[in-house]
Amino acid sequence: MIDSLILQQGSDWRAQAEVFDEIFFVFLALGTLVGTIVVAYTLWNVYKYRDDGSEPKEDFDAPEVGELPTGQGGPKAKKLFLSFGLSAIVVISLVVYAYGILLYVEEGPDSDEDNIEILVEGYQYGWDYEYPNGHSETGELIVPADTRIDISVTSRDVWHNFGSSELRIKSDAIPGDNNTNWFSVSSEEVQAQGGEATYTVECFELCGPGHSAMEGQITVIPEDEWESWYEGTGNESNVEGAASVNGAAYGGVSA
Amino acid sequence: MSELPPTTSVKRWFVTTNHKDIGILYTITALFFLLFGGVLALLIRMQLWDPTSQILSGLAYNEAVTAHGLIMVFWFLSPFGFGFANYFVPLQIGADDLAFPRLNALSYWMYLFSGILLGISFFQGGTLDAGWTMYAPLNIPMYTPSIGSTGAVLALFMFVVGITASTVNFLTSIHHSRAEGMGIMDMPMFTWSILATVWMMLFAFAALLAVGLILASDRVLGSVYFSATEGGSLLWGHLFWFFGHPEVYIVFFPALGVMLELFQTFSGRRLVGRKWVIISICLISVQSFLVWMHHMFLTTINLEIKTLMMATTIGISLPFDLLVFSLIYTLMKGRIQFTTPFLFAFGALLLFILGGITGVFLGAIVLDYEFRGTYWVVAHFHYVMFGGATALFGGAYYWFPKVTGKMYDELLGKIHFVIFFISFNMVYFSMFLGWETPRRVFEYNPEFQIFHQFGTIGAFILGFSFFIMFYNFAKSYVSGEPAGDNPWDYSRTAEWAVSSPPPLENWPNRPSYASGKLEFVKDYVPDGGPAVKADGDGNAATDGGDTHEEHISKYPYWDKHPSHASIWPFALSLALGVMLLGLSGFSESLSFAVGESLAATTLTVSNPVYPILVVVGLVGLVWTGVKWGLQDFYAPPSEFAERWPFEGVEKVKLGMWFFLASDVIVFGAFLSAAIFVRYNAGWMTWEPLTESLPGLINTFVLITSSFTVILALVYSHRKSRQGVLASLGATIALGFTFLAIKMWEWHHEIFEVGVRLAQNPYGDPVQASIYYVTTGLHGIHVVIGLLIAIFLFVRTYQGHYLDDERPIEYFGLYWHFVDIVWVFIFPLFYLF
Repeated sequence: MIDSLILQQGSDWRAQAEVFDEIFFVFLALGTLVGTIVVAYTLWNVYKYRDDGSEPKEDFDAPEVGELPTGQGGPKAKKLFLSFGLSAIVVISLVVYAYGILLYVEEGPDSDEDNIEILVEGYQYGWDYEYPNGHSETGELIVPADTRIDISVTSRDVWHNFGSSELRIKSDAIPGDNNTNWFSVSSEEVQAQGGEATYTVECFELCGPGHSAMEGQITVIPEDEWESWYEGTGNESNVEGAASVNGAAYGGVSA
Repeated sequence: MSELPPTTSVKRWFVTTNHKDIGILYTITALFFLLFGGVLALLIRMQLWDPTSQILSGLAYNEAVTAHGLIMVFWFLSPFGFGFANYFVPLQIGADDLAFPRLNALSYWMYLFSGILLGISFFQGGTLDAGWTMYAPLNIPMYTPSIGSTGAVLALFMFVVGITASTVNFLTSIHHSRAEGMGIMDMPMFTWSILATVWMMLFAFAALLAVGLILASDRVLGSVYFSATEGGSLLWGHLFWFFGHPEVYIVFFPALGVMLELFQTFSGRRLVGRKWVIISICLISVQSFLVWMHHMFLTTINLEIKTLMMATTIGISLPFDLLVFSLIYTLMKGRIQFTTPFLFAFGALLLFILGGITGVFLGAIVLDYEFRGTYWVVAHFHYVMFGGATALFGGAYYWFPKVTGKMYDELLGKIHFVIFFISFNMVYFSMFLGWETPRRVFEYNPEFQIFHQFGTIGAFILGFSFFIMFYNFAKSYVSGEPAGDNPWDYSRTAEWAVSSPPPLENWPNRPSYASGKLEFVKDYVPDGGPAVKADGDGNAATDGGDTHEEHISKYPYWDKHPSHASIWPFALSLALGVMLLGLSGFSESLSFAVGESLAATTLTVSNPVYPILVVVGLVGLVWTGVKWGLQDFYAPPSEFAERWPFEGVEKVKLGMWFFLASDVIVFGAFLSAAIFVRYNAGWMTWEPLTESLPGLINTFVLITSSFTVILALVYSHRKSRQGVLASLGATIALGFTFLAIKMWEWHHEIFEVGVRLAQNPYGDPVQASIYYVTTGLHGIHVVIGLLIAIFLFVRTYQGHYLDDERPIEYFGLYWHFVDIVWVFIFPLFYLF
């Protein structure tokens, strides 16, 4: 299978961001190539067959007002099908390739470690997170590196979309519905960012006047640091009241 | 009233039903909305100039974004294309006018008044701010509380009503009025693309009408569909995008039609692979209804359905490939003339290629996951939809000489194109570069500021470029060179065979393609008898074989002249506009306190203005409707026409069937909504709210009334006035019986059981909403049917319909349909 070849690099599985960057590059390269060829070919022919005022060629059969299109011979369409066939092959192979990766992204990688499941709840205008032990945070989600984080996204009021451009994850937050997704950040990445990797969370679905400022943050810290932090959370919560009263407090972001 | 005043008279423009006049009205009004939406776009661009400072509040920005989207998609793109369609489709198919001239005027006035309602909504505490996609539950008053938000929703509703009338009209015209010898495959490509467009519109806009009605009910009456957590949000998504995806092609196809025409005219070549182009267009029209969930890849729909939708999405890109290659190959070996219209059409092709390629990116689900809600999507659909509209501007230059009789200024036209094309790419290509910015966000990552600033500069230049066009058209209209009948070397279609502008009834004699090319033949009209068809040489001949001659001989109207003027389309639209304006503030102006019984229920009116508007509008609606019905307006069907595949179906009957087909989708959407929400709530957790007995009795009542309508038709055929009166009277009595039982049932549920619009003692409140709204919509259909039946009853009493039973027959079609709908409602709400 194509996807297993692409995805199995050593024993590590790949983050969504990496997968995205690769497909995006392939599509962009092919798209630019095909687009350039088609446009250049078109422009060249339009220039070549311009009306330069010279006498029409012998085989030029000018149409007349009032003729029925089906009554005329009309040009041959052989070339049309050749081009059509070529473009169909390009498009279909691109999609088959992308589909293999979709299956991987949907499934998520197998993980030896225990995954951590987080409930994400959007509200006007911020995000609440609930950990498996019942601990809640508002605005900032703190998770360990090298661990697959499963998120289950929903909304308390209107339709939001929980997304982080840098992590290349996105999920609709729909009232009454739970939408699952996953992400993970490697410890190398966390080290590279100085022991604490931070990612901005934005809302990608218009949700009201405060939509623009509806931001949150994902903070990834080394696993052992996270363990000790998580131990100490117990049952007390960090949620700032019920901040979601309609129309109140735009941009209530604690990060 | 039937005399049409001259074009210099203001009155003419209020009463005209002529397709060319209405085409001009559409075009000018659409250009006004282009400016309106354009100004809003510039406000958006100014806000994006600096991510840290704002000129608009968050609320005002969202209003600008929402109104910009709604205006450009609904009030500009489609009407602009349909301005041309109004003017040129009848000319291209060889008809005198559209099939229903008054309905055509009605569509225009509904369009205009709906736009005015949308304008007014800005002053009703702010217009809707939920985005043009109006996702639930942001679209309900809890989150968008302004009166103007309701006003905007009702404006959209009114627009869709007008669109439905227009759709039925174009379908009937193109299928019923093509000149002799013009088979369906012979139609010019612009007409072909309009035909595909209206077929899509018939079903797509019906879904929008349904979802708009549900939303209006949530906002005005207080039902709770879209706030329901039992799938309310997804219900909106599915219904909206079931409309929304075909809508993309609905706005693009008229532009495609213009491209197909202009590429031929300005290269002197005939379309390459014409048959395959037509097949592609038909395929796209069908497939457009099978891809809508690709707008919802990030919702909770499962992988199997996503895969299916991905396959259909990629599938629909293939016919487009063929269209693009056909356009390119048509130019080759031609003699291409770089006139302004051609430049715009050719520019549109280049922009569409870019829009199409970036669309393939979105079809790959993994990429879509990241593009969702970003400027990639914004850039893509502007390249497709506004890129398409580029061809429409080409169409405006192309047909300007035909409409005005004057030639536009070629140099100014070319300058317009160059500035337009460069600034277009400045605005929208910069969006690709800054694509990671979330949509509808103005506090964005400063990293992308350079792209947004570049786009803002481009937007102002783009806006400016249109004033070159307006100046060009205004100057040329006043003092341009006379254009002659056919200023283009290689035009083919019939509009170029008549004078510029064409005469009121289009043709010198009857146009016919019977000999293989356009000829004007003179039919022989004996005194007091039907016309006799001319043969190819222009001589009168008696051979016909056209099924329509039966009607000609049956109904004595050959001595009348076609009518071209009626004030009632304007008046009826005005009345509906007033009523909807009243409804926008209705729920804020009064409140019910529901008591133990109807008598104990109190009504408090806090602001009489809106309720008064509702009453005035409603009375006006009924009054203008009656005047419309009474007006002696004569719009004869073409006597000798190609009607495939509806040979032998009379004109009005065909229109009625098209209308009922769209109504099937409306009810289909309501019933699907009921099933979808119930499925999400857990199917078996719901029991019927009501006793089944009243529903069962009502089923028998309605089925019986269907038989009495058939009896009325039979008696009308036998010219028995008593018989018609008795059977129509029985129908009316049965209709009222149905309503009385319904009222008893509702009264019982509301006051004795406590099931109210948003209140359900047995469980989910949304179940009560669905019950009242769905059966209520059916009830409204019954009420409208009864109004028509009473009208027919009175007219029969006055002695009408004995020579011509068709009005009774068509009413019967409607009435049977309403009965059949009940047969679906009964089990869903009363049995299971």
